[in-house]
Amino acid sequence: MIAEAGHYALVLALALALIQSTVPMIGARLRDPVLMNVARSTALAQLLFVGLSFGALVLLHVLSDFSVANVYENSHSLKPLIYKITGVWGNHEGSMLLWVSILALFGGLVAMFGNNLPLSLRANALGVQGWVSTAFYLFILLTSNPFLRLANPPLEGRDLNPVLQDPGLAVHPPMLYLGYVGFSISFSFAIAALIEGRIDAAWARWVRPWTLMAWMFLTLGIAMGSYWAYYELGWGGWWFWDPVENASLMPWLAGTALLHSAVVMEKRNALKVWTVLLAILTFSLSLLGTFLVRSGVLTSVHAFATDPTRGVFILLILCVFIGGSLSLYAWRASSLKQGGLFAPISREGALVLNNLLLTTACATVFIGTLYPLGLEVLTGERISVGAPFFNLTFAPLFLPLLLALPFGPLLAWKRGDLIGAAQRLYAAGIVALVSVAVLWAWVRGGSAFAPLAIGLALFVILGALTDIAERSMLFRMPLSISLRRARGLPRASWGTMFAHVGVGVALIGIVCETTWNTELISTLKPGDVAKVAGYELKLDNISQRQGPNFGEMLAHFTVSEDGKVIGTMTPSKRSFTTRAMSTTEAALMSRGVSQLYISLGDTAASGAIAVRIYHKPMVLLIWFGPVLMAFGGLLSLSDRRLRVGAPKPAKAARGLQPAE
Amino acid sequence: MTRKQRRLTMIGGALVVLGIAVALVLNALRDSIVFFSTPQMVAEKHIPAGKRFRLGGLVEPGSLKRGDHMMVTFKIADGSNALSVAYKGILPDLFREGQGVVAEGSLDGAGVFKADTVLAKHDETYMPKDVADALKKQGHWKDDYEKAGKKPDTGAKPMQGASR
Amino acid sequence: MSLWFLLALMTVGAIFAVLWPLSRRTAVKREGRESAVYQDQLAEIDRDIAGGLIGETEGAAARVEISRRLLAAADAEEGSTVSSSLRLRRAVAMIALIGVPVLAGALYLHLGSPALPDFPLASRTRAPAAGQSLDQLVAQVQSHLETNPTDGRGWGVLAPVLGRLGRFEDAAQAFRNAIRYDGDSAARRAGLGEALAGAANGVVTAEAKAEFERAVALDADEPKARYFLGVAAEQDGRPKEAAALWQDMLSKAPADAPWRPVLETALKRVGATAQTAPDSAASTKMPALSNDTIASVQGMSEGDRGAMIRGMVDRLAARLKQNGSDVEGWLRLARAYMVLKEPDNARAARDDARRALAANEADLRKLNEGLKALGIDG
Repeated sequence: MIAEAGHYALVLALALALIQSTVPMIGARLRDPVLMNVARSTALAQLLFVGLSFGALVLLHVLSDFSVANVYENSHSLKPLIYKITGVWGNHEGSMLLWVSILALFGGLVAMFGNNLPLSLRANALGVQGWVSTAFYLFILLTSNPFLRLANPPLEGRDLNPVLQDPGLAVHPPMLYLGYVGFSISFSFAIAALIEGRIDAAWARWVRPWTLMAWMFLTLGIAMGSYWAYYELGWGGWWFWDPVENASLMPWLAGTALLHSAVVMEKRNALKVWTVLLAILTFSLSLLGTFLVRSGVLTSVHAFATDPTRGVFILLILCVFIGGSLSLYAWRASSLKQGGLFAPISREGALVLNNLLLTTACATVFIGTLYPLGLEVLTGERISVGAPFFNLTFAPLFLPLLLALPFGPLLAWKRGDLIGAAQRLYAAGIVALVSVAVLWAWVRGGSAFAPLAIGLALFVILGALTDIAERSMLFRMPLSISLRRARGLPRASWGTMFAHVGVGVALIGIVCETTWNTELISTLKPGDVAKVAGYELKLDNISQRQGPNFGEMLAHFTVSEDGKVIGTMTPSKRSFTTRAMSTTEAALMSRGVSQLYISLGDTAASGAIAVRIYHKPMVLLIWFGPVLMAFGGLLSLSDRRLRVGAPKPAKAARGLQPAE
Repeated sequence: MTRKQRRLTMIGGALVVLGIAVALVLNALRDSIVFFSTPQMVAEKHIPAGKRFRLGGLVEPGSLKRGDHMMVTFKIADGSNALSVAYKGILPDLFREGQGVVAEGSLDGAGVFKADTVLAKHDETYMPKDVADALKKQGHWKDDYEKAGKKPDTGAKPMQGASR
Repeated sequence: MSLWFLLALMTVGAIFAVLWPLSRRTAVKREGRESAVYQDQLAEIDRDIAGGLIGETEGAAARVEISRRLLAAADAEEGSTVSSSLRLRRAVAMIALIGVPVLAGALYLHLGSPALPDFPLASRTRAPAAGQSLDQLVAQVQSHLETNPTDGRGWGVLAPVLGRLGRFEDAAQAFRNAIRYDGDSAARRAGLGEALAGAANGVVTAEAKAEFERAVALDADEPKARYFLGVAAEQDGRPKEAAALWQDMLSKAPADAPWRPVLETALKRVGATAQTAPDSAASTKMPALSNDTIASVQGMSEGDRGAMIRGMVDRLAARLKQNGSDVEGWLRLARAYMVLKEPDNARAARDDARRALAANEADLRKLNEGLKALGIDG
């Protein structure tokens, strides 16, 4: 009954989505507030039913109801409870259900908290949201239905892929989806604006919190996925330029650009057409990511061609939405009014440069990801575009972006003073240059790249701090006044600072890890000692352990520095009997923001065991940076200005309203 | 500046950036792309020693030998030809004889493939895409597999690898 | 609470969600306005000037700019008219009242399987030796076999279970041991072949095919081996051959053979229409089984297979209770009960059948003839 109720709830959600995608839009066209308001209740009801449906699937997994094919294929009665739950979205059908649930969640949020929106904009945006939902409900129900039943329930399930049995995966896909799907709101707003044929500064302010929220989740999701790969895959890599990763990076780049261009639009009523295009592109890239990951086209172009139902369906969704929205854009964009003027050297100009570089970088990732697919479809020749390609294209584009980054916030709107900004960045620049020189001297003869890159990162960080210092007139006024001023700064300014500092911090981590990472691969017998980067690691013994659904071989290491014991590390290898496969569980030890990393290889006949030991300096900064960025996003999101326009604050603001 | 001049400045700037990007992409595509071959293609094409490429196929059962200092040698076969591969380091968890594998590296003078990266398939229902396609072309592969096989999931890196 | 009641309740909820806003006579006036945003921007400039974040002159210029936007927005809001059409409202309400249940019901009946009961772990009575998982049992048997590796019968019992658990490589080894120590049989050869195919992700490799051929050589009617030889033919790109083989099996198969639905699904896959047995419509309505499932069903141990037959019989009985005009179905049910050595149930089925078919002379005669053959025409 649970399964059937969940199934029916999903069908009902589809029915509601169909109503949501038509009635409110008709209402908006006829300016009928009653019909427009249907959007709100249907969006909320849709959320309720998808929530029920998702809850039902979770319950089925928890209860190990193997009469449901999806549970049988992806679960096992012995699996720990937490992995029974994460197993829900560890497979195709379940993760698509999560996808639509999040889509409905965002729709519901707009319905609930969108009181500050004009009725017609909300109706149209929710209507567009309804189209997207409808398409994906159909996709799930017709091609990837998680509620299909087995007439003869087997006794035991087929387990979850052991590599996916990891707490990191419990949160990573939902985060990523919150990001991916969150951009659907910007998309819906953009399409709604195009339909209404009217777009202005207020629109940007309304879209901004939704974009920010999606961007934050996507940032965290990408960082988490990277950390997961780092410790779970057992070879210390944290970014592979793998198509799955690129699929999430592309919407992030476009979304970052969107965030910045929306600022220009909000403040200066300029870049309107471009911002709408970016909103469309960002969500299109999210859809593309879903297509790449979900259609199986990455596994094999051929598989896609021979079992096309799913792939073709998503491709169809992709074509309809991307093609449709871009056509609408081409048709309506010219009717949007032109915005304000600005000089090339100005805050607007800096943000345009930011957009230009970000979208170009995004385009290179796009080419690197899709070129092999395209080439194979066209010529049958198979190539792989790996890290070297991205290092050669992506990095050179990010360099000027980072160099220009500190200048942006210091330039005034309309007409900026580049020399003035540079003067204010003197201190930051000098510190950065000095640290380059010091580092270079310190590493002696090594490549000049790493010190330069770290100098650049420092410049970014200090530049971001300079902006706040300037605004609060630090060192130019008594400290108490500066502090008061700093407190009075809009939260968005602090958000900008944290996000920009996060970029610099992540860059330091990346450069240090790639340049000074030490690696030792060797075979050790109990009692042997390995020396890595000043640490001594002694293999004490090897033991066996039985886990809930796996057997585990643990190696116990004692780590000492300068003869002093500082801790133990126990990497392990698990073998899962139901899948006849094994996973490597790396052991990590953090020393400040650096880490020691041990993963195990095969056991030799002599009883010796192959180990891989890494010392990764500053590696934690790679993920600390994105966390800072997301925190900055959160700060901006809490800025009270973003909530303005809601009926209540508007009444309060009336007192401040100047005579017209 | 007039509106027109400003716009021209903008468009000019954009074109410059795009031009640089195109140059970068073309340059990178020339230099850093790695082609994929099967042992049979290697036998037919005479790939010069030292040229990097990816070699994919099945690990020939019984060919895996472990030497000193973590040296391993094995053969990658595709049904018609087989090529010896030498690799130093830890093989990925999922490396098994008879299973699909992709190695990246180059041929040495003696015709042995010196690999510096070995990627094994992700789980028992996943094959590296290149291997699957190549085997399929040669008829060692059945479409039925793919219908039964599930695709790897989000977040899951489709390959598990080992690299020196 | 029955399922249908729950579904109806949910439908009512969904309809209500659409009707509720329609029922509100006066539209809510709580609407966000562009002008509010611009007013706030003006206030913000005042604050910035007060805080010294922006110069007086720039502030004044910005204020002019925003005021211009504010005026335009206020004009637009003034000009917007509100209309409301009762007719349209009624139409939407009708769509909600009729469209939602019809669409949802039709789609659900097409996709769902409302008749299937839940099968959660807790209520699973068929699980062997309650409290002990299959894995633990397998481990026990395995450790027994490690000390007595020549116990061919033990291997013979373990092998299909391993196959069902998806441990195909172990299963293949167990089958080989069973054959070595306990003698060859068609079923074991077929099981070995299936395990090999399972290990190759469902591809019938040359090795597996050889085992199936051996099995058929031992027993020309071994169903599993023949089925997989068909799969092999299909995978080799000869679907016609596969279809012919399966058709042949199907025509010879007893009506209650548990692998009938498997064959029908397979035939459907290769595009041939199975010579529809009376109940094939019902069996094809079940969600399609994945190849894996089929493989695991085929690898069932005797006990499991019995359980599966049991399940099919129960379903058949349930279906006949709803629609009793199917003579063939009744006969199959009675025959199945006889096979299961449950003559009482068979007789009960006979009586039910006679009652259900009382109106139809011809069918009743057919039924009685069939019952005579089964020896229960009392």
